[in-house]
Amino acid sequence: MQRSDYLIRRTFFALATLVAVVVFNFFLFRILPGDPVKAIIRSPRLTTAAREKLRVDFGLDKPIFFDGERLREGDVAGAFDTQFTAYVRALLRGNLGISFRSRRDVAEVLAERVWRTVVLVAGAETLAVVFGMALGLVSAWRRGTRLEMTILLWALFSWGLPTFFLGIVLLLLARGHLPVGGMVVPGLKPEAGLVYWVDVGRHLILPTLTMTIIYTSSYVLIMRSTAVEVLSEDYILTAKAKGLNTFQILRDHALKNAMLPMVTMVALNLGYTVGGAIQVETVFSWPGIGRLMYDAVQLRDYPVLQGVFLLLAVSVIAANLLADILYSVLDPRVKPE
Amino acid sequence: MKADIWKLLTLVVVLAMLVTSLAACGAPAPPPVPTELPPSEATAAPPPEATEAPEAEPVTLRVGATTIIDALNPATGWESYYLRYWFHDGLVEWAELNTFEPGLAESWTVSDDGLVWTFKIREGLTFHDGTPCTAEDIAWSLNLLMEEKFPPLIGYVYGFEEVIALDPTTVQITVSEPSALMISARLHYAFILPRSVWEGMTVDETMEFEDIRAVIGTGPYKLVEYAEDEYMIVEANEDYYRGKPVIDRIVIQQYATEDAMVQALLAGEVDLITEVPSTAVQPLQAAENVEVAIMDSLSVEDLVINSHVDGTQPESLNDPAVRLAIEYAIDKQKIIDVAYAGYGEVATSVLAPVMGDWFNTDLMAVPFDLDEANRILDEAGYVDSDGDGTREDADGNPLEYRLYAEEIGSYARAIEIISDGLRQIGISAPPTVMDGDALYDFLAPDWDFDMIYWGWGWDPDPDFAVSCFTCIQAEAGGLSDCGYCNEDFDAIYLQQARTLDHEERRELIWGAQEILFQDRPYIMIAYIPTIQAWRSDRFTFTDFSAGDVLRKWTLVRDPQPVR
Repeated sequence: MQRSDYLIRRTFFALATLVAVVVFNFFLFRILPGDPVKAIIRSPRLTTAAREKLRVDFGLDKPIFFDGERLREGDVAGAFDTQFTAYVRALLRGNLGISFRSRRDVAEVLAERVWRTVVLVAGAETLAVVFGMALGLVSAWRRGTRLEMTILLWALFSWGLPTFFLGIVLLLLARGHLPVGGMVVPGLKPEAGLVYWVDVGRHLILPTLTMTIIYTSSYVLIMRSTAVEVLSEDYILTAKAKGLNTFQILRDHALKNAMLPMVTMVALNLGYTVGGAIQVETVFSWPGIGRLMYDAVQLRDYPVLQGVFLLLAVSVIAANLLADILYSVLDPRVKPE
Repeated sequence: MKADIWKLLTLVVVLAMLVTSLAACGAPAPPPVPTELPPSEATAAPPPEATEAPEAEPVTLRVGATTIIDALNPATGWESYYLRYWFHDGLVEWAELNTFEPGLAESWTVSDDGLVWTFKIREGLTFHDGTPCTAEDIAWSLNLLMEEKFPPLIGYVYGFEEVIALDPTTVQITVSEPSALMISARLHYAFILPRSVWEGMTVDETMEFEDIRAVIGTGPYKLVEYAEDEYMIVEANEDYYRGKPVIDRIVIQQYATEDAMVQALLAGEVDLITEVPSTAVQPLQAAENVEVAIMDSLSVEDLVINSHVDGTQPESLNDPAVRLAIEYAIDKQKIIDVAYAGYGEVATSVLAPVMGDWFNTDLMAVPFDLDEANRILDEAGYVDSDGDGTREDADGNPLEYRLYAEEIGSYARAIEIISDGLRQIGISAPPTVMDGDALYDFLAPDWDFDMIYWGWGWDPDPDFAVSCFTCIQAEAGGLSDCGYCNEDFDAIYLQQARTLDHEERRELIWGAQEILFQDRPYIMIAYIPTIQAWRSDRFTFTDFSAGDVLRKWTLVRDPQPVR
């Protein structure tokens, strides 16, 4: 009963956030400096008339939010014939618009890209969580030893590494052994079966490794500090006194109790990493959502940017909701009031 | 207890080994080579070597590029012109950096009044889809462009009144006034598009057509496959009117950064890269099996000075003496050495030297001479009366200017050098870098800046470059970035565009350059080369006359695979 109330409230907040994001998204891109028509038309040999025609084609001739002039003239419907209402109407119909760049449906472009980023992020997150938890636990258990210092130093060092820098270093090191960019050798198709997937896997290694190294460090640090706290608890002493071995203590007592902040962190990170892949995808020319966003910013491709941001917002909000739910499930003390 | 911790550690190590072995087992496997690929759906016919001579293995050139390809459709695509040239032809072709040769037209004549152009069309031309390309198709296509359904191509049929086919091999174009630009600035860009694809489409249908058939033309290559942000594969057109190209298949691999692209060339993942950053030239030259070509180009780098009458620049910046002093205080050679790794030439005219005899050779470079700059400012009455290191004008306003550049490494370094030079002559201009689009917002209609450092890539014909300084371009929506407006200059511009006699037109163009040199809406900094690099163990390139080894006709005949 209590829990379902809590879930309903959480879901409602999530939806309200989403609506706010939708509105915010629209204005965010309109206050950016730069003119999309100018950005689209890199070839500057265009007459002013043709430029205006493009503006009309893209709906950029309409007022952004509200036409005060027409309202004063009593034309209420006309006053709201704006870029904003067009955006909301289309969105309600599930239409994310047409890319300025390729003239393709934004939903279609996103659908094509999103799994590539998901594969990259999911792989890196999984590895990072496994390594992060293991190294964090070990360093907490062996507190004050050289081993802990080494792990801690490495974690702090890699935590401070800029993603693109690490990416370029790995790229230089692996040159000649692993492909430096792209997702697959040009022309290779999924129909080729195993050959295709092996090739995609080869292209995945460097970006995944880069992300894993960067993300592992934060998990190590979180896991270590929580575990240090947990290990000083009386029940650990009790467990030792009961004669349980180290592995059992760590697995059954320390790990479980240290999991709470980890779960929150992982859930939140999952939401952000979809967007956070932008640097890795740029360094390794991985054609996912991050790269799409990078190109879209350069070309002022508003519909695509709006689509990407909506997707990111949805994933962050969903991850938050998930964290809330998991938290209430995992920790019996966290009972919503 | 000790043993247990080792158990845990072993787990970690095993996991780590698992990951690294995954990486390692991928490495030794030879990367699949594109030539081994099964033909994709677009190429219905089996590869020719299967039925003909088995030893004729198809030649594949793998190109690395960083330019974003936007849209395939010529009605919506603005980027990657070199690709469009591969697919489409014009009546004439841009052969070398400043020469034009007959293309789909074999020859042409122009009436005495300069209004009627008659083109003799080659016989037996066909589009990639097999439909014929006769004079009638060409006239139809040029009329299509005149309907303004293809915004990127509108400018190239500007001034066309009527285009008709007189007979299957003759096209007649009537223009509204005599034009010196027909060959060198119009028809080589006015691509001939097939009726079989575009006939009967509305404007919206035209703009939304993103089928692979949008790039059907008569050019040397046809599109096989395109994956956005990944790659493009094109295949030789066996029926190309100048003969089948040497290279059977070209794969363009898209990289998001220049660094990755350079590494791909070093690793042999691509055979050629098109935009080599100047900082990568030396490492590439030192590498084995890599050759670098540094070719003259139509790119110029300049310092724009706000010259608009309603601009917000301080009054002192409008003084020709101040502008001259600024030019004396800029160490152009140092900018080239530091910001462009030494690859570039000190500039004088707004036009580039590769534009042949259009380039005014009478203009003498203003040397780097701080003493002379200081002398000019002293003489013009700008003195530092309050001793703060910055000169003031007669009204006591300090010589403080806003100096901007786009967020590009070489630009940022360039404005630091400029700022440093200006400081030494008592002008304060702290360097500021920002997003390119933010810079555009300072131009028309506000004209709210003092100096901007950036560059242009000109057309081979001088018309476009000169047109950027005319009054009409300084209006909202125009191309001017300096806001320059001078009626005498405009008169010269209009006259040169109508002057069919080469020598007369050359004198007018030289005069236009002279005016710009004196008035200094731009201080010209450098002429920047095009740098390309390729694997010499895969291909030999010998013809650099077009300033780009991928220029259509160079590409068709020049590259030789290394066997």
